[in-house]
Amino acid sequence: MSSAQIEIQIIASLVAIACAIPGTFLVLRKMAMISDAISHSILPGIVVGFFITQDLNSPLLILLAALTGIITVVLVEYIQKTGLVKEDTAIGLVFPILFSIGVIMIAKNANDVHLDVDAVLLGELAFAPFDRLIVSGIDMGPKSLWIIGSILIITIGLLFAFFKELKISTFDAGLAASLGFSPSVIHYGLMSVSSITTVGAFDAVGAILVVALMIAPAATAYLLTNNLKRMLIYSISFGVFSAISGYWLAHGLDASIAGSITTMLGVLFLAVYLFAPSKGVIAVMYREKQQRTEVSLLTFLLHLKNHTEESERHVNHLNEHINWQKVRSKTVLDLALKNNMIQLDKNIVSLTEKGDHFTSQAIDYIITNEDGKIEHMKDDFFLFRG
Amino acid sequence: MTKIAVQIDDLTVAYNYKPVLWDIDLEIPEGVLMAIVGPNGAGKSTLIKSILGILKPIAGSVSIYNKPYEKQRQLVAYVPQKGSVDWDFPTTALDVVMMGTYGSLGWIKRPGQKQKKAALEALEKVGMLPFKNRQISQLSGGQQQRIFLARALVQNASIYFMDEPFQGVDATTEIAIINILKELRKAGKTVIVVHHDLQTVPEYFDWVTFLNVKKIATGPVKDIFNDDNLTKTYGINYKVSIQE
Repeated sequence: MSSAQIEIQIIASLVAIACAIPGTFLVLRKMAMISDAISHSILPGIVVGFFITQDLNSPLLILLAALTGIITVVLVEYIQKTGLVKEDTAIGLVFPILFSIGVIMIAKNANDVHLDVDAVLLGELAFAPFDRLIVSGIDMGPKSLWIIGSILIITIGLLFAFFKELKISTFDAGLAASLGFSPSVIHYGLMSVSSITTVGAFDAVGAILVVALMIAPAATAYLLTNNLKRMLIYSISFGVFSAISGYWLAHGLDASIAGSITTMLGVLFLAVYLFAPSKGVIAVMYREKQQRTEVSLLTFLLHLKNHTEESERHVNHLNEHINWQKVRSKTVLDLALKNNMIQLDKNIVSLTEKGDHFTSQAIDYIITNEDGKIEHMKDDFFLFRG
Repeated sequence: MTKIAVQIDDLTVAYNYKPVLWDIDLEIPEGVLMAIVGPNGAGKSTLIKSILGILKPIAGSVSIYNKPYEKQRQLVAYVPQKGSVDWDFPTTALDVVMMGTYGSLGWIKRPGQKQKKAALEALEKVGMLPFKNRQISQLSGGQQQRIFLARALVQNASIYFMDEPFQGVDATTEIAIINILKELRKAGKTVIVVHHDLQTVPEYFDWVTFLNVKKIATGPVKDIFNDDNLTKTYGINYKVSIQE
């Protein structure tokens, strides 16, 4: 690996981390689309900033562009507050207009400005190592590394300082307000961080893909955990994984780095969406099937408990009596046998002590609906896991 | 003379210039268990939110023990409507209850062992200790309401505001909750509850406020919970049998 390759991977990873942190809260606040709006509407800010500073990596440009991001959020909220249009419509109105102003500004000044629409949309990660920070003649590394590094350090600092405030205002804004944690201060704080991060990442991955880096890792992590801290860690890991594997995919295919990173994010999400242990599509299907079987099992055990007469308990009669198809009866019968809940004697089925006890407990639960009673049964039965 | 816990003067609150509460004057004495009743859209939740500074009134003032709410946050606990939060949020029952301690911590400071212990005690009080590590979406509606109650208890406040704590809970939970509210009153706390079920008002509460955009009446249940006030509030000829 050349040093440029290593630098690109480091920059991509830092961008991924810096995006994943605010992205997690955006996803939990159901504000994923606002990051799309910010990423597009900072364009005029970048162009104006570039006219003033003549340097794409100037901190002033980043602040100016981030300000456009905040203005977007304010505009969206203002339009929405009039009650004339809904939030998604307001978002859809504001950002394309700001973005197109930026596009026109670039086109009008195409000859003077080292900035083109392709780069704005898709970023120029591959060129990042060429623009270096030179301090008194010493090469300090790529400028974008310093920029995204600084943004990341600030983001992490804010995350550690205000984790509790972010959590409470995201979960319950009303409570946060009543306790004195102003939800609007936290909201605009988060919007500012998202805007600054977007500008910082913009140069590397472009307006469209920065959204993916904010939203996809968080959405993936959300499927895997019920713990906010873990969700943050997972989403950072997914971001970094996609950044590095995306880089190598681009290398192998000789394709756009930003495009490949986003493709990896998509692949990762799809895999988790299908295979996540409890929230994944396959797990849900399996659980539903299991629950169906377990309801049948309970129905069957109840039948045995309610009927002492042998005619009702003969294997062959079960099909007719409980009105199931043969396959289902066999599955249920096998499950009951496997769990030692029934015994077979000359094709006459009867409950074992364990089966009898289980049936009473389950019925008791269904009637009283008291969770405590079935706590120990949850490990064996999906039915009781809620 | 009992102290006044909450004093509201000339309070008017509007959404987009449409008044939801109109010139409310209300004194809530210390130590009452009070129901706020009124039809849908009467401004019951709005009243609570305005007292707590969540909504800004266009006129009037609210004081908690003679001082503005901002100075008295520590004295007040709030239980919002259960439907106001996203129960799929990645967190546990214990963590939600811990949020009740955030107010006393202030900005930046993190909760520690002391806060955790207080949260566990509150969970125990509402009978939810076995579920402390349960993800909140895995709790039943009644259990979620208990978690909210525990979160208010952990604040160890003097005044409790609850927005429909009995909504969507089963009878057992309702009794459990009202018993805790009665205990709070016994301990000298003031409890203010937005309530829907008129039948249970005489049984659960000792104080009641009738509200329908304007204040209709406020006072002890035994004196003012009558057909006259109900009719004024709900606009139809309302008959409730009051149990003596």
